[in-house]
Amino acid sequence: MMNQLNVQKPAKKSRGDILHEQMVRLGEIQPEKPPLNKMRFLIISLVVLAMLAALFIVCDYRFGVIEEYELTLEASGEIQEPAVIIEETAPEAEAGAETAAAEEESGAPKDAAFGGFYKLGKIIAIVAGIIYTAFAVIKLLAPKRRKPNRSIWGDIGIYIMLFIVAIAMVFPLVFSVGASLKPLDELFRFPPTVFPRQPTFDNFSDLFVTMSQSFVPFSRYLVNTVLITLIGTGGHVLIASMAAFVLSKYDFPGGKIFFSIVVTALMFSGYVTGIPNYVIMSKLNMIDTYWAIILPAFAAPIGLFLMKQFMEGLPMSLIEAAHLDGAGEFRVFWSIIMPNVKPAWLTIIIFSVQSLWNTNASTVIYSEAKKTLVYALQQIQAGGIARTGQAAAVTVIVMLVPITIFILSQSRILETMASSGLKD
Amino acid sequence: MKSNFKAFLSMKRESMQYNFAKAKRMKVCYLFLLPYAILFTTFFILPICTSIYYSFTQYNILEKPQLVGFQNYINLFLQDEVFLTAIKNTLVIAVITGPIGYILSFLFAWFINELPKWIRAVAVVVFYAPSIAGNVFYIFSIIFRGDVYGYLNSFLVEFGLVDSPILWLTDPNYMLTVIIIVILWMSMGTGFLSFVAGLQGVDRSMYEAGYVDGVRNRWQELWYITLPSMRPMLLFGAVMSITQAFNVCDVPRALAGYPSTDYAARTIVTHLFDYGFSRFEMGYASAIATVLFLVMILCNKAIQSMLRKVGS
Repeated sequence: MMNQLNVQKPAKKSRGDILHEQMVRLGEIQPEKPPLNKMRFLIISLVVLAMLAALFIVCDYRFGVIEEYELTLEASGEIQEPAVIIEETAPEAEAGAETAAAEEESGAPKDAAFGGFYKLGKIIAIVAGIIYTAFAVIKLLAPKRRKPNRSIWGDIGIYIMLFIVAIAMVFPLVFSVGASLKPLDELFRFPPTVFPRQPTFDNFSDLFVTMSQSFVPFSRYLVNTVLITLIGTGGHVLIASMAAFVLSKYDFPGGKIFFSIVVTALMFSGYVTGIPNYVIMSKLNMIDTYWAIILPAFAAPIGLFLMKQFMEGLPMSLIEAAHLDGAGEFRVFWSIIMPNVKPAWLTIIIFSVQSLWNTNASTVIYSEAKKTLVYALQQIQAGGIARTGQAAAVTVIVMLVPITIFILSQSRILETMASSGLKD
Repeated sequence: MKSNFKAFLSMKRESMQYNFAKAKRMKVCYLFLLPYAILFTTFFILPICTSIYYSFTQYNILEKPQLVGFQNYINLFLQDEVFLTAIKNTLVIAVITGPIGYILSFLFAWFINELPKWIRAVAVVVFYAPSIAGNVFYIFSIIFRGDVYGYLNSFLVEFGLVDSPILWLTDPNYMLTVIIIVILWMSMGTGFLSFVAGLQGVDRSMYEAGYVDGVRNRWQELWYITLPSMRPMLLFGAVMSITQAFNVCDVPRALAGYPSTDYAARTIVTHLFDYGFSRFEMGYASAIATVLFLVMILCNKAIQSMLRKVGS
């Protein structure tokens, strides 16, 4: 039926639009209101917003006048508790008399008793402004016909909630970044400010000074981390993809069981296996070598899991065609499969880099010259009050690397995660 | 009866022979799997097995492990009061942050899904960033600081909601709440990404079909169309949030101190850490690890069977 309709109306209409028209014709849903006159809507919106802004300005102005008046009162010591007059509106006559009396003395504003109302007016103006702006933006930007099953007020509620939660999520991050740019006197300012008033990079340059004075040259820590990250990630991608390839494409005895064990292993945290892992590594003479970090990283279950799920999406015919052309299994893997799973590569590279970059590995590495960057940075961070500024800089450096990588590769990661589902 | 059994045996033998022949034919598969399998067994399977073995011994790394039977488990449950507190705390944290974090991850992924493309990209970063930001959660120790200079306290005192500052991180009454808030803040992790990606992949025509069939608002659409087609991602997300909910360790150690007042913020993993890496009672610590591991597997099974009922 869909195809027929498409043939009849070759105009650029989505299937949804056609369906909608059909349903209107059949009387199943009410015909829609005439399309929005954008110009008129814009003008109305501007008027509404202007009115709200005017309300806000008036309230703000009056409130400011009252506050100033109170401050002068306080300063001259005429009234001990100015709050009482403002908030106490119940005994009207009394309050009125009092304000009138006060007015006579020092030319106070007539409406001093209504300070609370002005405050309320300000809040109402702001909230209404936000809601109305959201409404107008959605109305103006939305496609001509809204998606089915979406009420505009529901959308507004959800957007506002998303906005508030997003701010709550970002606040600590923004605050950390702000703190790292503050000079020392601002770091201890109270009440604190989110953004520095005189941003400087002093904290970062101090950090480099501290680094250059460390017992082991600082570049050593960096080299250690880079080395561990590179080898660990490279090996992990290769080994996990090889295993994922056979697990996803061939049905051989034991494969399914092995995979289900790997899925269970997704739940192990480093702490649970930490003790026996240490014992095993010491038996293998790996304590205090890079291998103690690198080899477990090779076998991280999340990489195999994501890779296998992604490879399931590749058609089997691809492999069979290669077999017919006489390609061996390894050749199929290397030149057919691997180029086709680039997004998955990138994703497991990123997960692996994230975890290796953040290892401090203090339980398996003892010599100072083999410690990782994050470990060294944490030592600086633990330096107490005097290093507050540098600690803030460290937090930002450690935080920025994984987040930047994620931002740069987001679309590839999401492409891979789309196949991450666990079949039951 | 006996003949049945014989038939069963021969069938078993035949299928084993068949499997063996198949395995022989597919040698190359095992070759591919081998490197991963060796490493995985060494660093993931073997530790679990040895951990279970050590849990029946007394072991301090220097001397040879001595078998003590169930003594560690008996001590754990009957004598160690701190462990019972730890179990209680872990369960409270897991029961609250697990489901809430899971549901929030899904809901926000779902809300974000309907935003225009570039706003969606920004929103995903905003929600995902806290979980990969390393130890930024230290900032919460300033927000929740116990004196008037803690941001929350100064706010509350300023507005007259409390008379004196609250010791958020040292008073046993408040510690868990603070920790739960911080963990929830960090809970949009890998599972959240999986949800965002999965929602993008739901077939659009399903929604239109649902509209024709009488789905009338977004919540019905969620329950009858979106959730059932997201089931694989929901299972994956569940595994991830169980892991996160039970392996709480860094946050309480960084915020509430280690050990915390009255052990009020002690979790199973911090307890394990204490016995394993401070007191070197490896046998006892292994018993703790085994208990934690069993609890997690049971939880996972329960949740999987629950998720199968979604949308039906």
